[in-house]
Amino acid sequence: MNYLLTTLTKKQEVDSMIRDTIDKVLVLCFGRASDSIFLQLDEILYKSVREVSKFATVALVDIDSDDVQVYIKYFDITLIPSTVFFFNAHHMKMDCGSADHTKWVGTFLRKQDFVDVVEAIYRGAMKGKLIVTCPLPPDRIPKFQLLYKDV
Amino acid sequence: MPIQNPNPNKKKKKHSNQDDDEDDTVQGKQQTQFEFCKVCRLNHNQGRRHIYFPNHKKALSSFLYRFQSKFKNDVAFYLKKPMPLRPEHAALNRLWCVFCDFDILEYDSSFACGNAIAHLASAEHLKGLKSFLWKYGGGMDRMDSFRISESDFTKWEKKCKLLKSEAAGGGSHGSLIGPLNDIHNESKSEYVNSFDKNKLDCLTSDVKCSNSVVPLQDHTIERSQISHSKICTVGPQILHAGTGVGLGARTPNGLPGFFGNQHYTHSVPKEGPAYSCPNDGKQVYPYEGIAIGDGHSQGTSSEESRLQTQENGGGNVHSGAPPPWFSAAEKIQLDNKLNQGLGDLVSSLGEQMKTSKLNPKRVGAAWAERRKIELELEKRGELVRHDFGADWLPNFGRVWQSGSRKDSRKEFLGENKTWRKVDSQIEKPSQLQPYISKRMRTENTAE
Repeated sequence: MNYLLTTLTKKQEVDSMIRDTIDKVLVLCFGRASDSIFLQLDEILYKSVREVSKFATVALVDIDSDDVQVYIKYFDITLIPSTVFFFNAHHMKMDCGSADHTKWVGTFLRKQDFVDVVEAIYRGAMKGKLIVTCPLPPDRIPKFQLLYKDV
Repeated sequence: MPIQNPNPNKKKKKHSNQDDDEDDTVQGKQQTQFEFCKVCRLNHNQGRRHIYFPNHKKALSSFLYRFQSKFKNDVAFYLKKPMPLRPEHAALNRLWCVFCDFDILEYDSSFACGNAIAHLASAEHLKGLKSFLWKYGGGMDRMDSFRISESDFTKWEKKCKLLKSEAAGGGSHGSLIGPLNDIHNESKSEYVNSFDKNKLDCLTSDVKCSNSVVPLQDHTIERSQISHSKICTVGPQILHAGTGVGLGARTPNGLPGFFGNQHYTHSVPKEGPAYSCPNDGKQVYPYEGIAIGDGHSQGTSSEESRLQTQENGGGNVHSGAPPPWFSAAEKIQLDNKLNQGLGDLVSSLGEQMKTSKLNPKRVGAAWAERRKIELELEKRGELVRHDFGADWLPNFGRVWQSGSRKDSRKEFLGENKTWRKVDSQIEKPSQLQPYISKRMRTENTAE
């Protein structure tokens, strides 16, 4: 994990992160350090965190820590890496053409894609929308199969 | 693959599946045909939604205002005071009815704006007006300001008949245009008739004159006697070679655009009729004013001299005084300097201003405001930070949830409890006991 991006390991840290980010998008990325895709995502995040710093905060969450398991269940995180967006402690959904609108699964192909996604979320949130559509074309969005609830 | 649940109320999109619990979408464009909005002058595919957009509303208000001003200034004026229309002025007197998309020409009407008045009172216009307002959303209560009621129309017709009968009765030509002559405070009917002669006169005399009156090349508009007198005095002023300073400020309210584009040079008279319609060819009102001849200058010379002295008192180009706008500019400069001095104060307030201007409708606005206050208080140390508790969870719209987001948290907590109960039941240690056969037991009991 990159030391420059805040990594959260406890539920209380995550809570305070969610509660203290005011009028900015909070990007919470759940993943495991050993996962290559997560590392790629981390790389992209690290490059763009400064550019979106005016309207977004980025934090990583280690899913292997016990304290955070509640969140993993709550957010239904089954595929790694998963990114959840918050704005003013409200969860922001994004319609990317996939079945799951509550989170972003996978990495971003480019730094610009990530910035576009965060910008779309920010714009929608400032207008009062809780769900936004993804500005990326479908070929840029990583595809995944959503597991059924009780499977 | 997940089940698609198309919500019939939502507009269908081509590429995505939809959840049941979508709160709102950013892009929900309707796929209708493109149509042209006459008001905004653009093609759109928004269908009926377009008329409620703020840009359209703005465009509509200016659009209707323009038509209404033409209607009021011209048609309404002639509705109250019908005047005969001279054929040479008929070309100026046309009106474009925006509701019926129809150009009303006056070539064959005997009275000023006769055709226009007739059209605006007609049933066809009413129909066109209604359909326009329905289509572009103008507000059906304003209909009467764009049409002429039948009672007004009949009154106007009666007045026209009276005028016709007077004319037929053989009154002098001058008397018909009596009201027009008020501009001079004396009847100068000959000037109306000798309009053409005056044109030539002024062209020749203009070169000579420096302070003498030069006749207007075209007619002025008459709104009221007061403004008429102003016009007649201001008019020659414009054509003065060299004393055209600051007239922009002096134009009467009724004619802002008429003098707006004047050039204070000798070339003005040569432009002639062109400059009487400075704005565009859509000047509706007929220029039935009076050409001011040389002989007339005596009548108004007193007023002119008064105006001249006023200008001389304030200074003009010849005296080397600064133009009036320059003094205004100085004031602006001073203001700027003052503002710079206050800039520091402003910038410190700027941050506060910025935050207060954040969209109040944004997501979580209320929560954000409360939280900011809390944080500030905590910083100051006034409020002890109260822990939210280890069990706090944000409102999260879960994937397989149907219902509001608060429900999702409750659902989750409920699920958690059941899991815990199940776990605890499983974890109850089942006491292991060695197996005692029945025979052994019976033997034990027997013993």
